[in-house]
Amino acid sequence: MGRNDLQGSLDLLVLKTLAQTRELHGYGIVLHIQTVSDELLRVEEGSLYPALHRMEQSGWICSEWKTTETNRRAKYYRLTNAGRKHLLEAEQNFEQLVKGIRAVLRYA
Amino acid sequence: MRETAVSVIRRIVNLFSLSKLSEEIDAEIKSHIEMRVADNIANGMTPQEARRNALLRFGNPTLTKERVAAIDAGLTLESVGRDVHYAIRRLLRSPAFAVACVLSLALGIGVNAIVFSVVNALVLRPLPVEDAHRLVFLETDSGFTQSFPNYRDVRDRNTTLAGLAAYRIVPIELESSSGASRIWGLLATGNYFDVLGIRPAMGRFFNTAEDVHPRANPYAVLSDSAWRSRFGGDPGIVGKTIRLNRMAYTVLGVAPKSFHGTELWYWPDVWVPMTMEPQIENYPDNGWLDNRSTWDTWVIGRLRPGISRQQALANLNTIAAELAHEHPQNNEGLQFRLAKPGLAGDYFGGPAKAFSLGVLGLAVLVLLAACTNLASLLSARAADRQREIAIRLSIGASRARVVRQVLTETLVLSLAGGAAGYMLALTLSQALSRLKAPMDFPVQFDVNPDWRVFLFALIVSVLAGALFGSAPAWRASKTEATALLKGAPGGWVLSRLAFRDVLVVLQVALCFVLVAASLVSLRGLQRSLKMPLGFEPRGVSIVSVDLGLAGYSGEKGRNFQQRVLEEIEQLPGVRSAAYSNSVPLSIDQSTTSVFPENPTESRPSEAISANYYEVSPGYFDVMGTSLLAGRDFTPHDDASSPRVAIVNTAFAQRVMRTDDPVGKRFRNGLDGPLVEVVGVVEDGKYEGLTQSHAPALFWPILQQYNGTTTIEVKSPLPAAQITDDVKQAVARLDAELPLYGSGSLDQMLGYAFFPTYAATVALGAFGVLAIMLAITGVHGLVSYAVAGRVREIGIRIAVGARPPQIVSLVLGRTAALLAIGSAIGLVLALAAGKVLASVVYQSSASDPQVLASVFAAIALLGVFSTWAPTRRALRIDPMVALRYE
Repeated sequence: MGRNDLQGSLDLLVLKTLAQTRELHGYGIVLHIQTVSDELLRVEEGSLYPALHRMEQSGWICSEWKTTETNRRAKYYRLTNAGRKHLLEAEQNFEQLVKGIRAVLRYA
Repeated sequence: MRETAVSVIRRIVNLFSLSKLSEEIDAEIKSHIEMRVADNIANGMTPQEARRNALLRFGNPTLTKERVAAIDAGLTLESVGRDVHYAIRRLLRSPAFAVACVLSLALGIGVNAIVFSVVNALVLRPLPVEDAHRLVFLETDSGFTQSFPNYRDVRDRNTTLAGLAAYRIVPIELESSSGASRIWGLLATGNYFDVLGIRPAMGRFFNTAEDVHPRANPYAVLSDSAWRSRFGGDPGIVGKTIRLNRMAYTVLGVAPKSFHGTELWYWPDVWVPMTMEPQIENYPDNGWLDNRSTWDTWVIGRLRPGISRQQALANLNTIAAELAHEHPQNNEGLQFRLAKPGLAGDYFGGPAKAFSLGVLGLAVLVLLAACTNLASLLSARAADRQREIAIRLSIGASRARVVRQVLTETLVLSLAGGAAGYMLALTLSQALSRLKAPMDFPVQFDVNPDWRVFLFALIVSVLAGALFGSAPAWRASKTEATALLKGAPGGWVLSRLAFRDVLVVLQVALCFVLVAASLVSLRGLQRSLKMPLGFEPRGVSIVSVDLGLAGYSGEKGRNFQQRVLEEIEQLPGVRSAAYSNSVPLSIDQSTTSVFPENPTESRPSEAISANYYEVSPGYFDVMGTSLLAGRDFTPHDDASSPRVAIVNTAFAQRVMRTDDPVGKRFRNGLDGPLVEVVGVVEDGKYEGLTQSHAPALFWPILQQYNGTTTIEVKSPLPAAQITDDVKQAVARLDAELPLYGSGSLDQMLGYAFFPTYAATVALGAFGVLAIMLAITGVHGLVSYAVAGRVREIGIRIAVGARPPQIVSLVLGRTAALLAIGSAIGLVLALAAGKVLASVVYQSSASDPQVLASVFAAIALLGVFSTWAPTRRALRIDPMVALRYE
């Protein structure tokens, strides 16, 4: 809770994206979130790369330089076991948070 | 959150290799933008439009890059900070444990920091002069001084030194408005300050041109402390005149505050040109400046750039050979040596180094004992934490993470201990630096800790934490989570106990060595106190006065001495009184070369060096020195009668090769006069307690005048009172005379006994510390063993075990450990005998009485430390024990 909530939701989006796609580069993550959320959510590149780096340092994701289908070199990210575990927790937390907020909104 | 120690290291590495990281981020951002450009073109934009759009959407790439890099720094600090915070919180929750650890380490590290600051001051710290490591002290095979003509020759002939300066320690009488006082100075050659590279704090120094003609250069340079304390820090002191030895000297300048000459132990008040030597030392004509047989000069030089010590030494010894050839009488067999300056070359330097390093070695043993305690406490704590660690492991913490957490806690402890120890050392060594030896001589050492001591304490703390904390940390990480949580005893209980057993054995062994060392030094002190000194200091007081400095000479001085003695003999409470130029074991000792009457070979190498004293009739009676044969001096042994002397037994046997020398003669100096021996006195100690069977001779002071006068008074009155009376009596005859070195003979002997006292205090403290540490260590082990076996003991009591059986159950293992530790300690102590010998005079580690006492101490230690836990074991109530858990 608190100051980490917004950062936490970006983490959640990125981890979930990686969970759904197995592995993806930064640009692909931006596109994926944009498409899946029907253009509702747009990830800032200026926030995405620091978040990726932080999550990699925390051991939730790992990376590898690979060649894309269009023969370009890009850094691909993948979930680790720890990341999967964290995603699970983060999803539960998020559900709790949404439930809580919804309860407050209904009450009002 | 899962983190590994490896990732922390990686991040720290990243911090230092930001360029590599930034390259990678650059590549990643570039690939991101290129992919966007390609997609934009695929969506129908022109290439220019596509690129502009991609860049716009990405935002500022530099900022992004910086933010990525900042993540590293933030994460590292955050996680380390979190660990430290957690460690402190946990430690505050068990204050007894924390205090025990910090205290153990504070003592161990504090002791080491103090000893290290002494080693630092004596051995490591360079003199506060430019390029101090290029300075060399010139000594010879037989001593640390040179004759002044030899100095001049070496200075002028050598090709390997940038400069060679000479100096000599001298007492000087300073007259001021408040009367005369004796201060200590240095005679120094004109190039002295240049060779050392010192710049004046005020005014200027004298130079080579001002040190050419004897007696013609009455210039003085003051030390900072003399300028402040004796001249009130007068800002206009330069150019003023001061009176030294009743002559006017011009003050040229003031030396910088940090400069105390080149002898670490001697802080002079004033520097005077060497050519003033005859005036300062009150010699007729040119004093010893032209005399090759007086070796009174100390010599220090600076190596030329690019010249090694070996090269310089080879060059100097070529000159030595020339000098031996040119002046065989004085220089036969002359061989130079180069030493590190600071402690009269290797003369004090060698023993001081051996002493301080020996003490440091023992101090390290204290630290080891403290660390053993730490490891033992940590391992007990790790055992208590098993459950917590098991929980943490089972919810996904990596073993490395656990190790890191436990290590952090240990490091927090060891740094806290180190900080406390350093503060302890700081306080004590400041007190040590202020300490002035109880004598009229400016002996002082600056042992204030500098950055080296701080670094030493820091490194020792970190090493202690890392080395002794890592084993328990490693063991903690080996915890078998599932087994423990099920309530079964940990799989490593047995091996852990064995580990703690090893620690206790180690601790007992260290304790044995340290207690042995302190007892050995105590025995040494006891023996040196009981040692026959050749005189009986009890009830004797002394007062010294230097008539030479005050301008008395010859006949006038002799008459004055007589009148003073008559005055003093009249004083109430004085049993007897005498005077001499000096007394044995004081700092002022003189030697002369003597020869048998008919030497087999008239060569300088036949010479035997003997300490000599000029004494008045009645001296031996006052000093309690037994006259073994012949007679004492009488008032008729004066300048008009034949030359006579009284010698000690060693002199008779070694110089005259007879047990009955009375009436026989010896030669004073190779071409010197023959002297008849009229009496024999017992042997004694003259220069130091370590001397044995040293030859000494006594001249009648009426026959051989000396202005340096020490008055000895035997009286049942307290020393302070009788010395006051004596001083007043002297002042009645000449109120201007500077008096010095007054007090009881016992007090003065403090100087001779000082090293022994210092060693005994240091080693005694080590011994006490070691015992304290060992008691806590053994106590901890036994308590822990009892606590872990409550149920078992309860069952045994329930099925009828009797108290002796319980006691042997609890103590059997401990007794075995103590025995093994003592055995190892015994071997170590015997092996360390050499180290002890460098620290303590008259030490013998194999002294059976000492060893028996150590065993007794260890046995007592065992009883003390096991008393409480054993009682606890005996009081275990089987019913309660069985319901336990």
